[in-house]
Amino acid sequence: MSVAKPDLSVEIAGIKMKNPVMTASGTFGFGEAYEDFFALAGLGAVVVKGVTPEPRKGNTMPRLVETTAGLLNSIGLENPGVETVIKKYLPRLADAGVPVIVNIAGNTVEDYCSVAYRLSSCSVVKGLEVNISCPNVKAGGIAFGSRPESAAEVVNAVRNHTPLPVIVKLSPNVTDIAEMAAAVEAAGADAISLINTLLGMAIDIRTRRPKLGNIMGGLSGPAVKPVAVRMVWQVARRVKIPVIGMGGILTAEDALEFILAGATAVAIGTGQFVNPRCCMDIVEGIKKYCETNEIAKITALCGAAWKEENNAGC
Amino acid sequence: MKYHLPEARVIGQQLTGQGIYLLNILAPEIADLAQPGQFVNIRSTRQLDPLLRRPLSICGVDRNEGLIRLWYQVVGKGTQLMCELLPGETLDMIGPLGRGFKADLTGKKAGLIGGGMGIAPLLFLGGELAKSNSVMAFFGGRNIEQLPKQGFMPKIPCQFATEDGTAGYKGLVTDLFAKWLEQESPDMLYACGPKGMLVQVVRLARQYGIPLQVSLEAVMACGVGACLGCTCAKSSKDEEGWLKACQDGPVFWEQEVDL
Repeated sequence: MSVAKPDLSVEIAGIKMKNPVMTASGTFGFGEAYEDFFALAGLGAVVVKGVTPEPRKGNTMPRLVETTAGLLNSIGLENPGVETVIKKYLPRLADAGVPVIVNIAGNTVEDYCSVAYRLSSCSVVKGLEVNISCPNVKAGGIAFGSRPESAAEVVNAVRNHTPLPVIVKLSPNVTDIAEMAAAVEAAGADAISLINTLLGMAIDIRTRRPKLGNIMGGLSGPAVKPVAVRMVWQVARRVKIPVIGMGGILTAEDALEFILAGATAVAIGTGQFVNPRCCMDIVEGIKKYCETNEIAKITALCGAAWKEENNAGC
Repeated sequence: MKYHLPEARVIGQQLTGQGIYLLNILAPEIADLAQPGQFVNIRSTRQLDPLLRRPLSICGVDRNEGLIRLWYQVVGKGTQLMCELLPGETLDMIGPLGRGFKADLTGKKAGLIGGGMGIAPLLFLGGELAKSNSVMAFFGGRNIEQLPKQGFMPKIPCQFATEDGTAGYKGLVTDLFAKWLEQESPDMLYACGPKGMLVQVVRLARQYGIPLQVSLEAVMACGVGACLGCTCAKSSKDEEGWLKACQDGPVFWEQEVDL
């Protein structure tokens, strides 16, 4: 016996997605980079690059270092600024047949609010993802996302500047990820996505200098997956809002681990660089898994690794 | 149009010098579209280390046979695995990628300047240009091992330079090129190679007022404009936007980029 047509649809804060597979911000441009490899309409949602109020040049080169089963990057939020994004990049996504979520970033609470407010008037935008890993310049450069109070402050402010669903992307570089999740939920977040990259670095033993121009960067790829799965588990058990899981997902098996840990949806980042059809392969793989294992609705697997009622049947 | 060939078949591979290989791959879709200066992004393992693809310039195509040719040096884990591939084995390839050389010239005189593995895209270009133009190539390497060999060289006049004198002129390829410029007036110049060489070529091209296209090398992750890892410095600071080696390049007019 197998389920002929499993229902892969999920809903995140009112955003209806035909399947649980999304792109991770900063790895998919504004939706144009992979259009020769698959149609955007096959995705659950597209999350486009982090947008700031003003254009940003990003960090100095080198910005990429490959590590064992991982990638360190220090792109530095290079982006053309919110006005150019609205004029030049978002209109072409209007007819793509997929919900568009824009990642927003800034160095002050006001930065986040102004981008959120500006994007709220674009009909193509169905949700905002708030990157709270940015340094807060008014607090000496400490990342908003490193303390529950400052994370809550920025989320609460964004909440008051947009009617759109607010997804908060958590930084893994914290002592207690569940506490951060609870803080942003209380501050009005509609959903949580995690993990952003893990802070790391690499040193060239030949030059005896750091390999990245920015010295430190964010680690992604398969190397971080166990950390990400653990954090999704901890967060999903703590909060009531939906969780989007990401961190090193390359295959449907990886994606299913995140869903079983409590993620309603998953996002693919570095995996796209490895396989330009990664997202589509994962959609197909999840579908096959559901068929084989007689899962009629993908939502039944969400958190099944810890929800006793679902485990009873196994 | 970019193609993803998850199982492109290796047709043959040969050692052409110490640590340097010539690889022929069956990739008809890519061979059909590829222009000189464009590249492919290759993964030669299904394992997770190395994780990322390796960008390599296309050294030649055989459109009748559907082949693309790559000429590369082993520098790390990715290229080491690539050089171990035997005929019949497969690799995972995306291409053709990037903006190639602007080469729609007829009845003109072109100069090509290549250093080290930067010679690879110029072999493809030289063959195409020579169909309807007069071409002179200057290829340099540290030693004879690094120079292209008969058999995959297009039929174009060529002067060689090696730093150790094992082949051709002993010294830098830019010395040969500079001497040639004293007597000749080419319409277009093309260069690919180490940064120091490119800086010299730019200086000479400006001195003689000859348009120059350069192909730049960069560390890349995606190769398709998504990750912004290979951003290049624009020469003009007042323009909006940035340059990506993978998408806006790897070939640029020299005045577009700040080397």
